[in-house]
Amino acid sequence: MAEQPLHEHTLGNGLRVVVCEDHVVPLAAVNIWYGVGSRHERAGRTGLAHLFEHLMFQGSANVAEGEHAALLESAGAAFNASTSFERTNYYETVPVSHLELALWLEADRMGTLPAALTQANLDNQRDVVKNERRQRYDNQPYGTAFERLCALTFPEGHPYAHTPIGSMDDLDATTLEDCADFFATWYAPGNAVLSVVGDVDPEATLAAVERYFGGLPAGPEKPAARPGGLGPLSGVRGETLDEEVPSPAYFAMFTLPTDGGDEIEAAELAVEILGGGSGSRLYDRMVRRDEIATEVWAGVTRLASGPSLAIVDAIGPDPDKIAAVLDEELQRFAEHGPDADEAARATAQAERGFLEQTETVTALANALSQNATQFDDPARTFTAAGRAAAVTGDAIKEMAGRWLAPGGRTALTYGGTS
Amino acid sequence: MSSGLSLQPRPVPGPVPAWAFPAGVEGRVPAGPATLRCDLPGRRLAAVRLVLHAGAGREPVLADGRRLDGVATLAAHALTEGTEPGGGTALTAAFERLGASFFAHADLTALRIALDVPTTRLGAAMELFSEVVRRPALDDGDVRRLVRERLEEIAQEDADPGSRAMRELRAVMFPAEARASRPTGGGRASVEALQGADVRSFYGSVVPAEATAVVAGDLSGVDADGALTAALEGWAATGGPLPTPDRVMPESAARIVVVDRPGSVQTYLSFGHGVPDRSHHDWPSLTVAAHVLGGGLTSRLNAKLREEKGYTYGMRAGLLRMRHCGLFIAQGAVHTEVTADAVSDALTELRGIVSEGIGADEHGSSVRALADRAPAEYETARAVAAELADVSANGLGTDYPSAYLAAVRASTPDGVARTYRKHVDPEALTVIAVGDAEQIRDPLEKLGYATVTVTAKE
Repeated sequence: MAEQPLHEHTLGNGLRVVVCEDHVVPLAAVNIWYGVGSRHERAGRTGLAHLFEHLMFQGSANVAEGEHAALLESAGAAFNASTSFERTNYYETVPVSHLELALWLEADRMGTLPAALTQANLDNQRDVVKNERRQRYDNQPYGTAFERLCALTFPEGHPYAHTPIGSMDDLDATTLEDCADFFATWYAPGNAVLSVVGDVDPEATLAAVERYFGGLPAGPEKPAARPGGLGPLSGVRGETLDEEVPSPAYFAMFTLPTDGGDEIEAAELAVEILGGGSGSRLYDRMVRRDEIATEVWAGVTRLASGPSLAIVDAIGPDPDKIAAVLDEELQRFAEHGPDADEAARATAQAERGFLEQTETVTALANALSQNATQFDDPARTFTAAGRAAAVTGDAIKEMAGRWLAPGGRTALTYGGTS
Repeated sequence: MSSGLSLQPRPVPGPVPAWAFPAGVEGRVPAGPATLRCDLPGRRLAAVRLVLHAGAGREPVLADGRRLDGVATLAAHALTEGTEPGGGTALTAAFERLGASFFAHADLTALRIALDVPTTRLGAAMELFSEVVRRPALDDGDVRRLVRERLEEIAQEDADPGSRAMRELRAVMFPAEARASRPTGGGRASVEALQGADVRSFYGSVVPAEATAVVAGDLSGVDADGALTAALEGWAATGGPLPTPDRVMPESAARIVVVDRPGSVQTYLSFGHGVPDRSHHDWPSLTVAAHVLGGGLTSRLNAKLREEKGYTYGMRAGLLRMRHCGLFIAQGAVHTEVTADAVSDALTELRGIVSEGIGADEHGSSVRALADRAPAEYETARAVAAELADVSANGLGTDYPSAYLAAVRASTPDGVARTYRKHVDPEALTVIAVGDAEQIRDPLEKLGYATVTVTAKE
């Protein structure tokens, strides 16, 4: 895809703005990344970043409770928010006629959220979030696997040792004061990136952003983040679980290079070749040929201020055998690397992935916010396919030998023979 | 507030810009499938959707009485194994080399084959697509393995509260002779008995002339019609016709069925009622009613159960599309301890439209939410192609998406309330509760809504 021109500007209060024209549909996507996630939480308050995200929908100084959603729903907008380790993301895709309303809504909660913080809202959204935790993790088979693997992979107290959903105890302990402090510390224009993509005029859009956000005070300097690094794992640290699940299974986590350098691009292709779908090595070996698993999947979570993570999960009656075959395949891969066809296929898939991630205004706005927040370079969005294509087979092999070596991972075993 | 804060007054938005559902150009492969070509400038990922009238609703019953439940789903899975017996990863690899994705699945109405590929490689991908559609191996060994994988999927689906609730809702609401009463992908017993020959016979009976092929994307400089014709011309059925799908309707009555899931920290609730199919003129108004009840954060069910009570992460209500009927379904997961209170509150909301009607504001909001989100909903070639393919599978005509949106906009608060009253009786809802029977059975009995029965998880 041809690179689309970006219009960038930083407001006096520190808010970074990226605008990109895309006239395919009469929509505008508004996307804000705040540079705060679960990695910034303190001990005893896990889950606060995500709980706070919910409170951002409960009103602000000039928006009544429920009005944010009401205004956007009645505009036919798609809107939501998400909280991860490193950032909190708010977004709405509106008919372009409603762009200024969306900007105004975001500015009001960026500037005046505490005006609407009440104990009743906190108590209600705490219950909602606890039900979210039950629905997505506690009441799902294998639902807590990712959380458990992070706790195994990272030392206790490490910023990435707990996941954004947090613990029930910490959610219960969170006070209104915690929420107000959290806002005062992290929710400032200087810790945010705003992207607008769609059927817009860039000059007029930048002027509108200046109008709605320019009057927000800059806020304090944000605190220095705790270091989040962790190198390749050595040894297999595992846990066997006695949960009721439909079938025995084996889940593994590996650390990978931090996002932003050449090595993560090689790592992404390596994991794709190993476990990205039914054409991958692990699927072919475990599901098709050995028939020791009925399902195998591998994927990467890129992280920009800690190690990226790879997950491999396989469902099959004998998790020990799955672990042994995984080691064999990792050994073979680390020794010989991918063949030319595997590397070419993974690169072609990365190209389609890039098109998928930039073909809607919503997805493109998110990618721009991400690359501006994490790499200070929104245009990096458009180099994704090229970066994948530049990776050599040797680079994949070298990376795998270091990060995806046999015997270096954390693992969960559900049921099975042991 | 903080010093230096200065805010602007709330802007008043202008009218929403006009937008029309993309038009398709109809055609036909000689003696083969109907075609629809939809040129969407700027969409660099093309989507091809081939819809075969070979859904689970047309699965045969053999002379010895064995039902081939699940053969349509298994045929869809087996197609992606390629054209050579035991071909392994060859087909997947070939598509991957093109940056393409190829997959297939079956529902009650149709077997749907899908290809997504960058427009620059559409031609090469269509050649592969053609090979698979015309000459799939559907090999015994592959099918044996896929049966095993399918059995595992069934176990996983049954362990998921939401999909277990849907399975039970259909089993309770449809009479046993309806195919819709049984899982679309088949049950454990029927799937275990399926063999390569069953799959080959089923797929061989597909009638190409009944199928529709849709291609969407930026087709400038691409001879899409030519590619479709080259891919599908001369493809012929080899077997006898598949049976006609049954049209057995769901039976609505007040009942509460607990699917016992001991130790569950939440109860998955599903409220169902039969409604007409999508061709009925009341369908657009029914979708508006469902949206008023459970379409978004401000809908009645979420305003009460989520935002006021904190019982749930979210409820939703909508209409399940089947070819011969529809189901109104409201559903969501609630904390185990509040299960009966949540059912009581939900019933109050589901009765509310009947007793009090619908307000102008909430009607307007739902209409705009349904109609004005269409440009975002159909932004990709995949979404447009899938909708056109679905419309075709259901015999609705290519102007259906536009007509539906116009009807939603033309609806009135009173008309929507009247339509809901006509088709949904809140005193005849089937309520499924997947949760810990020991904790929720008695409180549900005490509601006095309907008799409570308990069924095992399996």
